[in-house]
Amino acid sequence: MGVPLPPKEANLFKLIVKSYETKQYKKGIKAADSILKKFPNHGETLSMKGLTLNCMDRKAEAYELVRLGLKNDLKSHVCWHVYGLLYRSDRDYREAIKCYRNALRIDPENIEILRDLSLLQAQTRDLAGFVETRQQLLTLKANHRLNWIGFAVSHHLNSNGAKAIDILEAYEGTLEDDYPPDNERIEHGEMLLYKISLMEECGLLERAVEELHRKESKIVDKLAYKEQQVSLLVKLGRFEEGEKLYKVLLSMNPDNYRYYEGLQRCLELYKENGQYSPDESDQLEAVYKSLARQYNRSSAVKRIPLDFLHGDKFRVAAENYIRPLLTKGVPSLFSDLSSLYEFPAKADILEQLIIELENSIKTSGRFPESSEKELPSTLMWTLFYLAQHYDRRGQYDTALKKIDEAIEHTPTVIDLYSVKSRILKHAGDLSASAALADEARCLDLADRYVNSDCVKRMLQADQVSLAEKTALLFTKDGDQQNTLYDMQCMWYELASGESYFRQGDLGRALKKFLAVEKHYSDITEDQFDFHSYCLRKMTLRTYVQMLKFQDRLHSNSYFRKAATGAIRCYLKLYDAPLKSTAEEEDEISKLPPSQKKKLRQKQRKADLRAKKEAEEKNEEPTTSGVSKSGKRQVKPVDPDPHGEKLLQVEDPLVEATKFLKLLQKHSPDVLETHLLSFEVNMRKNKILLALQAVKHLVRLDTDNPDTHRCLIQFFYKVGSMPAPVTDSEKLIWNVLDAEREIFSQLHDKSLIDANKVFFEKHKDSLMHRAAAAEMLHVLEPSKKAEATKLIEDSTKDSCTIGAPGTVRKLKLKECIIVHKLLADVLYDNDAASRWKVRCAEYFPYSTYFEGHLSSVAPSSAYQQTKKLLENGTANGNVEKLEALKI
Amino acid sequence: MGGKSREMLISLDSLRDKNLMQLKKLNAALFPIHYNDKYYSDALASADFTKLAYFSDICVGAIACKLEKKEGGSVRVYIMTLGVLAPYRNVGIGTKLLTHVLELCAKQNIGEIYLHVQTNNEDAINFYKKFGFEITETIHNYYTNITSPDCYVVTKFISCSPTKK
Repeated sequence: MGVPLPPKEANLFKLIVKSYETKQYKKGIKAADSILKKFPNHGETLSMKGLTLNCMDRKAEAYELVRLGLKNDLKSHVCWHVYGLLYRSDRDYREAIKCYRNALRIDPENIEILRDLSLLQAQTRDLAGFVETRQQLLTLKANHRLNWIGFAVSHHLNSNGAKAIDILEAYEGTLEDDYPPDNERIEHGEMLLYKISLMEECGLLERAVEELHRKESKIVDKLAYKEQQVSLLVKLGRFEEGEKLYKVLLSMNPDNYRYYEGLQRCLELYKENGQYSPDESDQLEAVYKSLARQYNRSSAVKRIPLDFLHGDKFRVAAENYIRPLLTKGVPSLFSDLSSLYEFPAKADILEQLIIELENSIKTSGRFPESSEKELPSTLMWTLFYLAQHYDRRGQYDTALKKIDEAIEHTPTVIDLYSVKSRILKHAGDLSASAALADEARCLDLADRYVNSDCVKRMLQADQVSLAEKTALLFTKDGDQQNTLYDMQCMWYELASGESYFRQGDLGRALKKFLAVEKHYSDITEDQFDFHSYCLRKMTLRTYVQMLKFQDRLHSNSYFRKAATGAIRCYLKLYDAPLKSTAEEEDEISKLPPSQKKKLRQKQRKADLRAKKEAEEKNEEPTTSGVSKSGKRQVKPVDPDPHGEKLLQVEDPLVEATKFLKLLQKHSPDVLETHLLSFEVNMRKNKILLALQAVKHLVRLDTDNPDTHRCLIQFFYKVGSMPAPVTDSEKLIWNVLDAEREIFSQLHDKSLIDANKVFFEKHKDSLMHRAAAAEMLHVLEPSKKAEATKLIEDSTKDSCTIGAPGTVRKLKLKECIIVHKLLADVLYDNDAASRWKVRCAEYFPYSTYFEGHLSSVAPSSAYQQTKKLLENGTANGNVEKLEALKI
Repeated sequence: MGGKSREMLISLDSLRDKNLMQLKKLNAALFPIHYNDKYYSDALASADFTKLAYFSDICVGAIACKLEKKEGGSVRVYIMTLGVLAPYRNVGIGTKLLTHVLELCAKQNIGEIYLHVQTNNEDAINFYKKFGFEITETIHNYYTNITSPDCYVVTKFISCSPTKK
């Protein structure tokens, strides 16, 4: 350490530390300055001043001072600790850990530093280090509860559950018998539950049950107690006791599906796949009948049998379930039942059933064989259900008829418009869908859900700026963009990014995708505070769960979508790079001088305008951005609102690879990950990595059309490479030769033959046909006509089957992909327009194919009503006026 | 369900700018007239005199009134529209809406409430008569572009209660 300060200054130094802890930064700076007046080179003071400045948003000065302080006093643990804290505040945990370690070298038993270090080790999952630090802390202060618990948790995280149990038991051994005092009962109970869950995790089931029983009086959370107990009993095969306990739990909450599942397990009547033998489903039926008598207010007990019953029994149960809900008016009824539609037989029964109800109400106002007259709204809810039913079955025409009938019946129900919007989306008319969603939104301007639904539809229809305005209606004081970003509104950012991508605006698209990526790293950061908080509060079970969730965070679907989107942007950017400024200059210089001048002037004006706007934005928050606490929140203006800078990356493939690595690490079982890996590595000429991608694709789904595409393309490329020259090239060739034989598809076959075999095997699928056709074109460019024919022949059988009443075979999305293939890859415009005509007939609502019922067609219903609305005439057919319709 | 429990399903709610569209949808379905912005701002301004009626949480009817200042400063109520969607008639929704407005008039010491009704709309005329309205005037060719363009002015005079609060 440096020269010790005289008493007056030493007191001032204490004041700095205290001011820092109590956030009285100005006071701290003052004290620091008066020390520095006399001792301008005092290292620790310099460091503390820097740390204080860091909290006052003066980063650069902070680093400068802290580094200077350290330089003046390399032997001070305070200086090192401060340096670590500075790095920690900037989330540079690696550097922070290094600093803490240096500090500990000087003062190995400093508890504060050890504790800070342990937090970082938990955050970075340096588990071995975490255990070590926690052990040191316990040795130094064994009378502290927190240190026992922390040591146990560290062992648990480091996959040593047994050791963790031992530590907790040792800790209990230090306690008095009458522990805990009243104010710590909850914490102690949580610790016990945590210990028991550890025993369960380690397979010490008997011991766990005993321990649970012994400590019953000390466990406050009685529900958790029962759930833990029943879980152990089931694992031990003690089904009778389990059954009893599950019934107790059900009487507490008869709508918890997990309890029913557990009960079935105890009765040995549970199957993961839901496929029960007739005998089993009879038994289940009896069980649920008796449960239904007990829990007559439960809806789960009535809903679950629909999953295992079949035929007539299903019909009866479904009818009993559905009728009261139609009377009551439950808008979510269809989504409640939608899982049943995976079984066509059940969907058929539901169709018959609901049609009968509809007819009965229409003719008699009652359900069949019922004496009760139904409410007027029942018919509307029945039509509402039917519309969703037909939508699900792909019969968009009938679905629209039903929903229109419902709207005619009661034009004020918002859900009707939302569902109509969804049907139109499925039918392929995105702008009409957005318009309907907007109509729904207008019916209740205070409903955030319909507002968000509308925003989503607008984005699907590529109306991005309208969508943004609509989304901002529900943000605080409409503070643009940033609010949506601050709220981590990821569905919005993804949908918006995807829309920009479709429109070719890669900069804005990337901006949105990267924003989502940022949210995920923020979520990872957010766990930091919990390392100390949860140990203190003893919420150990949830804490460990949270850590495990964080470990899997990046396999979450929103992250995957964002990463996929970003990679696609970079691939596009690589395939069609932006013009550099030099090239642009070059082009400008070729223009005649008059035009050159005009262009320059235009540019200058645009620059000026942008600058002015930025300045205005910068000023705004200083006048209005004074928050409640009195602090000024100056939000920095986004210097790149359109993502133009994001496009100026040196090598898009390097950027893409960063995201690819995250996908490979966190989503290795998703096909798309390896498709992207293939695309990126083929462009980078990384042959072996591309081969690895192909192997993963084959592993995940050999028959997938994209797998086939990659496989053929890969070996086609390999076949056209020049003969190897260098040793490493020769090595790669050897690997390729050996690997080629492993692919069963290619065994003893030429690529052309393999493609043929693939085609024959998957003749009935449009997407497979398309893949085979595309590959035929790659392998034998002269056979373009034949390739086209492979695709066009697909419509021969399936198109005619699509008569009303049957489930459609062709999917709109796939047909659009095929159209793009014909037009943009095979360059066969005639075939593409033939395809378009056929699809327009098949998908009359599709705007893409310009179907005659879509909103792009002048005669469509959408255009008609739009005209009507514009003329201001109402469309009600009313006989009477001023009147009273009571 | 019996008639009594059906009545339990009826509730009234105020008109606000957030649910204005509900009234617009109702009017479009009920009346062959397109109402202009003035109509809606009058309805909003009348506050509690304009109500939406809900039947099992579905908006199915409405009464829309305008408050008019008479000479001398007293106020009278003009019922601009009163209507219930066809499937939801005859369960007492119209009665509930009108009763609400009449009670409000009494509470606020408003002595006069009136409306226009087509001369051939007997159901309507009878309905209002039940509540003590009477025909006070006939206007010829009141409506344009509709068959039977004549209308009555139907008025109810409410005797102001002299009791002082």
